[in-house]
Amino acid sequence: MAAQRGGDDPVSEYLQQNPHLAGWVDSLRGFCETSKQWSARREFILRNMEGQGVPAAQPGAHSPSLDSLLSLSMVWANHVFLGCSYPPSVMDKIKEMGEGIAVQDAPTHKTTKAKGKRSAGTEGESDSYVKRNKGGTNDLEARSSGRTAVRPSSQKSAPPPQAPAEHQPFFNRLYKAVAWKLVSAGGFGPNLDHFEVLRSCVESCKQTLTCVFVPLKDITGLPAVRAQKEGHVCELRCLTVYMGTGYGRDESAARAMASKEALKVFQGRKVTVKICRRRFRGRDVDDLMLLDEQPRSQGFPPALSYPFQEEQLEGGSPQRSTV
Amino acid sequence: MGVPAFFRWLSRKYPSIIVHCVEEKGKECNGVRIPVDTTKPNPNEVEFDNLYLDMNGIIHPCTHPEDKPAPKNEDEMMVAIFEYIDRLFNIVRPRRVLYMAIDGVAPRAKMNQQRSRRFRASKEGVELVDEKQRMREEIIQRGGYLPPEEIKERFDSNCITPGTEFMDNLAHCLRYYVAERLSNDPGWKNVVVFLSDASVPGEGEHKIMDFIRRQRAQPNHDPNTHHCLCGADADLIMLGLATHEPNFTIIREEFKPNKPRPCSLCGQTGHEMKDCQGVAREKQGQHDEFADTMPVSEQEFIFIRLCVLREYLERELTMASLPFPFDFERSVDDWVFMCFFVGNDFLPHLPSLEIREGAIDRLVNIYKDVVHKTGGYLTQNGYVNLERVEMIMQAVGVAEDNIFKKRKEDEENFRRRNKEKRKRMKVEQQGPAYLTTGQFAPQALGRRDVPEPIQNARHQAYDMRMNPREQNNKNAAQSLKAMLRNEGSSSSGANESQDRRAPKRKAEDSDSDPEPEDNVRLWEDGWKQRYYKNKFDVDVTDSDFRKKVVQSYVEGLCWVLRYYYQGCASWKWYFPFHYAPFASDFKDIKEMFTEFEKDTMPFKPLEQLMSVFPAASGNFLPPTWRNLMVSPESSIIDFYPDDFAIDLNGKKYAWQGVALLPFVDERRLRAALAEVYPDLTPEEARRNSLGSDVLFVGKSHPLYDFIHELYRDECNKGTVVPPELCFGIQGLLNLDNNPVLPDKPVKSPIPTLRDISQSTAVSVKFKDPEFAVGYVFKAVLLPGAKIPTKVLKPGDWERGNRGPWRPQLGFNPNRQQAHLDQSGFRALGHSLNRNQQGGGQYSNTPPPGTYHQGSYRPQHAGGHRGFQHSRPNPQLGASQPYQQPQFSRHQQQPPQYSGGGHGWNRVVQSQPSAYQQNANRDRGGPRHAGYQQPHDHWQDRQDDRRGNRGQPQQGYGSSRSYPPPPPSRRWN
Repeated sequence: MAAQRGGDDPVSEYLQQNPHLAGWVDSLRGFCETSKQWSARREFILRNMEGQGVPAAQPGAHSPSLDSLLSLSMVWANHVFLGCSYPPSVMDKIKEMGEGIAVQDAPTHKTTKAKGKRSAGTEGESDSYVKRNKGGTNDLEARSSGRTAVRPSSQKSAPPPQAPAEHQPFFNRLYKAVAWKLVSAGGFGPNLDHFEVLRSCVESCKQTLTCVFVPLKDITGLPAVRAQKEGHVCELRCLTVYMGTGYGRDESAARAMASKEALKVFQGRKVTVKICRRRFRGRDVDDLMLLDEQPRSQGFPPALSYPFQEEQLEGGSPQRSTV
Repeated sequence: MGVPAFFRWLSRKYPSIIVHCVEEKGKECNGVRIPVDTTKPNPNEVEFDNLYLDMNGIIHPCTHPEDKPAPKNEDEMMVAIFEYIDRLFNIVRPRRVLYMAIDGVAPRAKMNQQRSRRFRASKEGVELVDEKQRMREEIIQRGGYLPPEEIKERFDSNCITPGTEFMDNLAHCLRYYVAERLSNDPGWKNVVVFLSDASVPGEGEHKIMDFIRRQRAQPNHDPNTHHCLCGADADLIMLGLATHEPNFTIIREEFKPNKPRPCSLCGQTGHEMKDCQGVAREKQGQHDEFADTMPVSEQEFIFIRLCVLREYLERELTMASLPFPFDFERSVDDWVFMCFFVGNDFLPHLPSLEIREGAIDRLVNIYKDVVHKTGGYLTQNGYVNLERVEMIMQAVGVAEDNIFKKRKEDEENFRRRNKEKRKRMKVEQQGPAYLTTGQFAPQALGRRDVPEPIQNARHQAYDMRMNPREQNNKNAAQSLKAMLRNEGSSSSGANESQDRRAPKRKAEDSDSDPEPEDNVRLWEDGWKQRYYKNKFDVDVTDSDFRKKVVQSYVEGLCWVLRYYYQGCASWKWYFPFHYAPFASDFKDIKEMFTEFEKDTMPFKPLEQLMSVFPAASGNFLPPTWRNLMVSPESSIIDFYPDDFAIDLNGKKYAWQGVALLPFVDERRLRAALAEVYPDLTPEEARRNSLGSDVLFVGKSHPLYDFIHELYRDECNKGTVVPPELCFGIQGLLNLDNNPVLPDKPVKSPIPTLRDISQSTAVSVKFKDPEFAVGYVFKAVLLPGAKIPTKVLKPGDWERGNRGPWRPQLGFNPNRQQAHLDQSGFRALGHSLNRNQQGGGQYSNTPPPGTYHQGSYRPQHAGGHRGFQHSRPNPQLGASQPYQQPQFSRHQQQPPQYSGGGHGWNRVVQSQPSAYQQNANRDRGGPRHAGYQQPHDHWQDRQDDRRGNRGQPQQGYGSSRSYPPPPPSRRWN
């Protein structure tokens, strides 16, 4: 049990000081809970006891407020360890309550949209962008999913100046992969599954594509004509480098459009990673962008996510489609 | 049982257990349907006493069928269910008992599976709707055509769960149905009907087992009762074996793999939704006259004869030179127990035991060893000897490493073979690049038109060279040229020209199916560590945790076996993990299990709904209850995730994977529900209460007056059934609050069906006989039980000099064989000779040796040996001399005549009659090595018949002496 791990863990220390709590809280452990899961959930319970007005009582005594706390602790644990998701109001609540609890390498589960029976062909579609902890998307994911996993500490509010040079070789490889893929698919055209093409190419280069979705109505500062209520916007990044943005009626349509935009960049003679200025939440920021050689007539669309940001800057972070 | 492969495995290994049903169809005369008279002897040449229906196997296909349009409303569903029962009744024709059991509240152990199914159903339903919408838009954007979307409420199959209004209605309708049939159908008049609806706790099949078990244990039971149990679950076979009744037969729908299903977008068959192109529907028939006919045939039924399975098992399990006399009944119980290892509804199966990989054979071999070593069996009366089980597990554990490696190897081989096959098929489909045309065009053998002598060959050859319309040939030539050109250019290195061929081929090679990621890699060293890390999120060193898993699994094995042999030992117990441990982890298990918690109670129906339904099905619950599933303030909100992960666990499809759902905490559930219990309306409270089995009899049944008398006396105590009035069945009768009474009207709950103005049935509550608390039901043959005559060919038959072996194909060993007598042959010859002017140019010549994959071997010496599609069967030729003018309809393959009588074959082929069905059906007998085979033949015939519909005079075999080509050629 985690309590024996020694005094360096603040929770065990706390329990050693309050032995009456230790016995009580351990009576709440589930039979099938692993030590790791339990120590995390125990921390969740202890941290939120007061906030929920739960009196520490004798083992076996149960009150509605305790049950409600237990339930929320299970929601949190199910989310972190099993990969379950709950209605937004519940998720918001546990995100808040679970803030600050560190879980060492939580298992990764995909809520791969289980395609209807026997249509295995589409399975591969959605699992690529839910793979976690790859590339530079860690922090972004952790935030949006309420996971409080360890975050990289070296966060700056701008991409490091050497980043373009670091990423350039990868995108050169990707450029080739895309070129071959498009040749084999009969060339760039409207009938391709653009996302699939891009995804498979990125994966064949051993990286993952990150999609960020934002409902259109959540984007402020759009021209009045565009301010439709429905629809989603999708932004694609790979290795934190921005690749494209697209709009669609639903998330997959948005994603397809973003992929198409991204693939357009690959139609030139080469692709280059550059640091450019663009808008993000009403501010000008420096972002890593993937560009072709053509001179751009317009500016860039505003960024939907910004992976190089200080923590305190963010408010609500964009919803990722699948967590 | 959650093992779809189990039945397939069983029927391949033990083919003779299957007997195809003979079904007499109702006739129609001047538009009036004439029902079948089920008082007549059973056409299957066997009489059944008791028919048990596991109703959930009937309700599901009737409410949301996969192969035909769904019923429009609840009333139509009910009618479909009634018709289905009628059909079964007509096939089986029980003479004593009809027992209908609907799933009631299940034990906790089962509830986790139900929960996972319902959550998945709900998730899949939502995703299907999304996907449909997306596809629709896409197709319409591309200019495709789709029929307008039907505005129809999706039938939520989740409502087939005890406690819902639907189930309540169903019980109500079934009461009406039973009363109606008992009053009006002569076949039912002496049958006692039991209805155990969803308000009685227990799974349907287990309620049936409980009934049988308890009847067997009381002295008046007839040990030679012939039971017939209807249901498709493989575990019914286990349950049937577990009863140790000698006459036990299971009836189920014939399993047909890969039945075409209509696309859910455009409603046409032939493609799946994701391939839908939205093209206009093809006309069915010349004038679209077959538009509404489904191309699939009506489901056929098969019998599974457990007494034959017992014969097979006896051969397989019998052990010689044991230190004690071999007891076959005990070894059957052990076999049943070992089948649980490969899968059951209550435990995940062990990773190393996969039924497709011969897991049961492996277990049986190990088992024999263990019995020899320890001198005893694994189980007795449903109680497990854990020490011996441990030995089995350890023996499996030793092989585990190799099993995983072999699995990987097989998988790769399979994939490679598949790829090669695809490649081959593609080449075949393309056909030859060049075909001669005109007079030189290839002609199929045996066609009616005789080829003309070639005229003006040179001119024809010129035409073939020059004719620009021969597009195919032109293309062939062009591609040949292109190839030549390419070779030239590739040598020069600059392959800039956008020639699509080369890269395309490359792409095809690389796009093998995307394999789901497998982090566990059981075939590589360190698999155990990875498995525990990935599946349980613990280190392999955490032996406490591992022990916990093993202990739960051991408890599970004990629970399951007890459940099958003694009834539910604990309503509370369940396996609290998502995955099973390895066989090699079963160490020191002897002390791991002692006894289950006593006196546990089943959930109430609405409580069970709360623990198996996702929030999306909350509409089946009262509002305040529903609120507990969605509100962030609810103290059980953690039971209801709105999305969850599915771990494919090495499988290919999501539905085979493990749904990672949280388990329900019973204490918290009850605490939360205590607060909303007062909100139930009286109607809901009634639905939430536990009910009782109901017994129905009709007027002419001896028990009728007895029950009627009980109602007249308003006798409020439980009354014991006098066994002599009811075929030795015992139980306790209690007056029903809302009974069907004699000479009282019964209102029809379905608008399309008539009320019964004067019912002659009577209903009463029924309770199975009670036994003392510690009573152990014995898993033995009862004294006086007669083992049915053997069906399998005895191993020493040849030595006995008893003449050729005649396999038994149905239930009756001395079946009357159908034959044509002389006049019949005269009639046939007469009518056939007339149509046979041409006689077919090849009819007197044996087909060339290559025909039919070379399986035909001309036998000129005898001249009359038939040949077969599938495999040579020397017995056939030897035992059925075809010179005799006697034709058995049991013959596997219609005999092929090379001489004069070739008409016979033709008649069979072109007659779309019941006779032909029989001839087909009877072929599922022991000669078939595989169970699949009859399908192929059957399909074959189906196609023939369809082909013949338009032109009945031109049957396939009309003027030839060999069988029709395989259908694939013609229909694809």
